[in-house]
Amino acid sequence: MARYRLWPQSGLTLKQREAIWGYLFVALPMIGFVIFAAGPLIASIILSFAQWDLLRDPKWVGFDNWNTLLTLTVKHLPQEIDEATGEPLFLCARERVPQSQAREVEGQIDPRTGKAIECQPRYVRDRDVLPQGYRTALEFSLFNRRYVIGSRDPGFWEGLYNTSYMLLGIPVSMAIALLLAMALNQKIHGKSIYRMLYYLPVVLPIAATSLIWMWVYNPEFGILNYALDQLGLPSDLKWLQDRHLVKPALMIMGIWGGLGYQMLIFLAGLQGIPTQLYEAAKIDGAGMWARFRYVTWPGLTPTTFFLLVTGLIGGFQVFAQPYIMTAGGPYTASTTVVMVIWRNAFRDLQMGYASAQAWTLGVLIMAITLVNFLLARRWVYLETEGART
Amino acid sequence: MTTLRPVVRASRSLTLGNRERELLIKLLSYVVLSVGAFTMLVPFFWMLSTSFKDPHGIFKMPPQWIPDPFTTENYVKIWEKTDLARGFVNSMIIAVVSTAGEIFTSTLAGYAFARIRFKGRNVLFGLLLSTMMIPGVVTMIPAFILFKNLGWIDTWYPLIVPLLFGSSFAIFLCRQFFATLPEELADAGKVDGANQFQIYWSIFLPQAKPIIATLAVLGFIARWNDYLGPLIYVRSSDKYPIALMLTTLNTMYERQWTLLMAGSMIALLPIIILFVTLQRYFIESIALTGIKG
Repeated sequence: MARYRLWPQSGLTLKQREAIWGYLFVALPMIGFVIFAAGPLIASIILSFAQWDLLRDPKWVGFDNWNTLLTLTVKHLPQEIDEATGEPLFLCARERVPQSQAREVEGQIDPRTGKAIECQPRYVRDRDVLPQGYRTALEFSLFNRRYVIGSRDPGFWEGLYNTSYMLLGIPVSMAIALLLAMALNQKIHGKSIYRMLYYLPVVLPIAATSLIWMWVYNPEFGILNYALDQLGLPSDLKWLQDRHLVKPALMIMGIWGGLGYQMLIFLAGLQGIPTQLYEAAKIDGAGMWARFRYVTWPGLTPTTFFLLVTGLIGGFQVFAQPYIMTAGGPYTASTTVVMVIWRNAFRDLQMGYASAQAWTLGVLIMAITLVNFLLARRWVYLETEGART
Repeated sequence: MTTLRPVVRASRSLTLGNRERELLIKLLSYVVLSVGAFTMLVPFFWMLSTSFKDPHGIFKMPPQWIPDPFTTENYVKIWEKTDLARGFVNSMIIAVVSTAGEIFTSTLAGYAFARIRFKGRNVLFGLLLSTMMIPGVVTMIPAFILFKNLGWIDTWYPLIVPLLFGSSFAIFLCRQFFATLPEELADAGKVDGANQFQIYWSIFLPQAKPIIATLAVLGFIARWNDYLGPLIYVRSSDKYPIALMLTTLNTMYERQWTLLMAGSMIALLPIIILFVTLQRYFIESIALTGIKG
């Protein structure tokens, strides 16, 4: 092999030569790190202070993007007052009715629809309380008072709200996955088959599974509504076309697609818990619940933590499913925050503003990860610590 | 004690014995697992059955699980009349080239981080690892501008070239793997006067088959399934990978569910085959990520 030697009389020591090879081997990834990670990371901060459509030269706008994006205002939304009686107004069957009359009308049968009339408080229009340029990002009630959060970019906050709403699927999915993992963590026949069946949706292309689920959710001929009908449940649901159902529908699909991964990770976690602990607990007379509470659960906290953090990081960046299945609709009910950023950047070519949005989301994700890490010290049980006490 | 005894006896007769209880739990587990697995599979059966129906077959109520008439017409039509086949080939090329490059660079770097001593090794490795925490959405826009300036929009380069520089995740897995191999392995090579590349290539790489297989499977699937990347960079439909091609068909053949399900099946097939045959590498990759903290 001697003829392969590169530097026969170079005067370098063996160690130095080895180090040179080391730098050579990691050179490509380090260049990649600068070009595709560190560089863009810094560039997007700089971009967020500019206005740039890629056609003309970028224009520096200071904190304008950030102000537009992050300035929020919370206003109290009062109930409208009836001019004639001075009473608060209600809306009963699309008619404006003062409070005293509303009490009488409520519950009566509407001759036009044949249904009992319901009365809702009629609030002042949001644009009458919001400063100019602001639109409603979110409305909510607190202590019987109605509030409105105004923003100059309500779309972003709505996207964030929709995304956060859909994140609620993660704990549900994790609970099911844990149950399945515990069922699998016994001497069971066909273990690998079960493992495979549950894991399969995880690896499949989202483009294809999205089409499959669109067909499953089809209101007239889909299998889901048919199944609901067979069970005697309401079956005229327009899953993806109904703004109240579209988020749950996407969550169900998300659970289907992520369950197998969480189950396998939980299974790995369960197998890492020493069996002596269970035997000791049994000898101490611990019942099933006690064994779960004091052995299984503490042993699984690192796994749970890992799944929660990775789930949140992934969940905040959901894009393809709503993009393919609903295009963010109906209206904006399933528009996720990454869809908002994508539109701003690649459809409207607002590179600077979209960068500010992307950084806001990025910081939020990193902050949640960090908070999770800090909280983890309180509830995550590590074996090394346990051994000490 | 005398007062306690009857209570103990009564409770014993009420509860099941240990063996019986375990049997019951096991039975319950089978039921839960099977019902769950069946539910997971329903969308697949639904797709598969639809893809073999004729266009009127999907309107039948109650829905048919076994299509009657049974037809393979949809597969023929979607393969011959649309560009799905082209998307299939495009995806193959993109996935194979980018994954091969990713594996070569990542094994090399992983080997260096695990087995070669050089100054700043841990700092560099830490920097690489830190990129795993950057949400992709943050670097998406500057990366686009970079590729646009390079004239790479509407080419496959943005989908392939970044991976030729390796990926932090793959490098991490490789480093973990090479670190477990015994020290003596390299000695034979060193005595022969082989350089580090020769030691890597002829001694360590052959040992790394399991990790290479794992990376190959994970990489291929990630590229095959990628949607956002091609959506941003690829413009002409003849360059579309299969995922993008499929959703284009969705707008062209709206409501023609028999065709769309046949198309979905074609897009799923390579992944299903890969997954079923190489299942253990998936499972291994999960163990390798070292989630135990």
